[in-house]
Amino acid sequence: MNGIACKAFGIALAAIAAATFAVVPMQARPITHDEGVLPAGTELNDDQLDRPTELFYSEQNGGKRSYESVLGDMLFATPGIFGGMARKADLSCATCHQQGHNNPKLFIPGLSGRPGTFSTANGMFSPHSGGNSAPVTPPSLRGAVHLAPYAHDGRFATLRDFIHNAVVNEFGGSEPSKQVVDAIEAYIKDISFLPNDKLGADGKLTGKNSEDARRGEAIFRRPFRNDASMSCASCHHPDDFFVDHKVHDVGSGGSFKTPTLINSKSAGPYFHDGRFDSFRQVVDYFDRHYDLGLTGQERTDLVAYLDAVGDADEPITRNTVQAELDEIALFASVLDTAIPQQNGEIIGLTVETVGHEWRELGESFPPAKDPTVKGGLNERRRARNAVFDVVLTLRRIAMASEAGKFDEAARIYAGYRHDAAVAGQVLKAAEAYSLFNPAVREEHFRALDRLVDLADGSSTKR
Amino acid sequence: MSRLICCVGALAFALLATSANAQSMSEGAKAYKPFVVEHAGKALAGAKKLQAAVKAKDVKAAQDAWIESRRGWEAMETVTAELFPEFDEAVDTWPDAKQGYHAIEAALFAGKIDEVAKPTDRLVADIARFEKKVKGYRFTPQKLLDGTSKLAFEVGESKSKGGESPYAKTSHIDMQENVEGIEAAWKLVFAPTLEKRDAELAKTIHDKIEALEELVKVNDIKDLDQKKVHVGGEELAALMQQAAPKLKLKTTKLEDED
Repeated sequence: MNGIACKAFGIALAAIAAATFAVVPMQARPITHDEGVLPAGTELNDDQLDRPTELFYSEQNGGKRSYESVLGDMLFATPGIFGGMARKADLSCATCHQQGHNNPKLFIPGLSGRPGTFSTANGMFSPHSGGNSAPVTPPSLRGAVHLAPYAHDGRFATLRDFIHNAVVNEFGGSEPSKQVVDAIEAYIKDISFLPNDKLGADGKLTGKNSEDARRGEAIFRRPFRNDASMSCASCHHPDDFFVDHKVHDVGSGGSFKTPTLINSKSAGPYFHDGRFDSFRQVVDYFDRHYDLGLTGQERTDLVAYLDAVGDADEPITRNTVQAELDEIALFASVLDTAIPQQNGEIIGLTVETVGHEWRELGESFPPAKDPTVKGGLNERRRARNAVFDVVLTLRRIAMASEAGKFDEAARIYAGYRHDAAVAGQVLKAAEAYSLFNPAVREEHFRALDRLVDLADGSSTKR
Repeated sequence: MSRLICCVGALAFALLATSANAQSMSEGAKAYKPFVVEHAGKALAGAKKLQAAVKAKDVKAAQDAWIESRRGWEAMETVTAELFPEFDEAVDTWPDAKQGYHAIEAALFAGKIDEVAKPTDRLVADIARFEKKVKGYRFTPQKLLDGTSKLAFEVGESKSKGGESPYAKTSHIDMQENVEGIEAAWKLVFAPTLEKRDAELAKTIHDKIEALEELVKVNDIKDLDQKKVHVGGEELAALMQQAAPKLKLKTTKLEDED
């Protein structure tokens, strides 16, 4: 092939890849054998290319995130603050609250009632829990700063109590330091709702809505026919993030706090136990429970309203090598402060987390013995070697820190930053041959499915 | 278990004897070759037993033979990926339901012995070719250091979702053999020279290898202290890289890989 033909072929390939990027469905991939820490059938939903968008209050209007928020973000992603089985299983806060949102596909046999639910007090992760609690949905943490009290039953007045409970009681971690709790609190308080041009700051629909949604808004605020003191809006206050900060018994098996409706379109399944998958089911339930007497059209209008309120302009962000590198750089930046502070605990946790992120990223570049990837062997090899290099440099930082040699740690960290920048370029050069390319990903996972089928026929068909 | 102890004992004796006599890393590399050849022979012998058991439709014997063969292969992983990628791609390919150890593993440990005849024949042929090639191969200290440190790094990979051989549930054995291969390469090729040039670093690496060996002595991967193995593997690889300039070798760098 001559140069021009080669270039044309490259352009054609790029076009195919771009087209594929848009249409390939990304499905969950459960654990299909029982050699892992978690049982076969576990779905952590942690290898998706499409991820919930995450934005921060501090970055709105050109601001910058605080050290505490970044530190909390890193800690939120580390298994290092959990104990026992949870840590061994590589679980972190981010397992259930992906990108600070929820995890609708999360399923652990024995601990989940249905996808998107989880028994937060259970014998597997918290041996002193005295059995498994009823599975509940891990809530989205967007806008949590405005949504006290916390937990479905509202038993925690503050985020600090909520965080402490999750780390110690639910996931068997040791007593977290004040710095750890402060940082995670700062991070969670920084997670913002996603912009939604269908909803105004006053909680009223904007002009960018359908007639159905507008009629639904009126129904939402209309008193119930059997109790004029009540309406949907009497608990979901539109001018207060659609909450009233109280718990109510709506016939679902106890008293549970009013959930926000903002960005809720992607926050299902709904109700504390995730019993409903759609707004339609929720509306039908309330229509029955409160004998609202809604007509078919009114139910449709109410669903349209919830769709509008619950929407987001960009709910999903495609993951890329650059996005991963940005996250790694953000987490690693904790070392800018932790090393001069000679904070061994935070240095250790950062190295663990950042090293883990690098390794996960490296695994997206299939090795030579993966027969499903045809090209870019040198690029992939260089990418994997780059990861090898930076992870070992990080490890040397931890070793120096543990030996109390913080000057040496600082010197190695300076080298790490250079190596990480070089590695980033190498990884980006290999992206087309990585699992970030949906076509490559599809081939890789199809081959995995064939292997699973050979073993027991239980693969998730793609 | 007793066989493992016996093997480890024999290896320790061989290492001690060879270590004392090794004058240079080049000689060490020559001394390491019999280790590789021996394990290639074990991998091949196991594969042939597997082939016979498959023909006899004896599932249990076939599974045992698969494990035996795999033990041999995993002990050589210091060199297979780094120096013989064409064989690694054929024998240890992943994910591939058509050929290699894992295609056989997936079917065989599900009891589907009728589905493994073809990949088993191919495995025997591939390992036989590998054994022949390795017998005529000349190892260099640089490539052995690269392969050994990379394998130490791999041993430290997260196993929270299972290891390399999840269907046979023998990933812990893979790791034990990996560490045995690391130990053999380090002690035969590099330790004698490093002891002369930086005795403290040599001792640190020696201790790390011993510690890693202890950590992977489990009967089930679920019993593994994953955090310690992870840290231990990374520290060992980092120390080996740190030792490279003292051994007058290069650290594994990106630019070496073109």
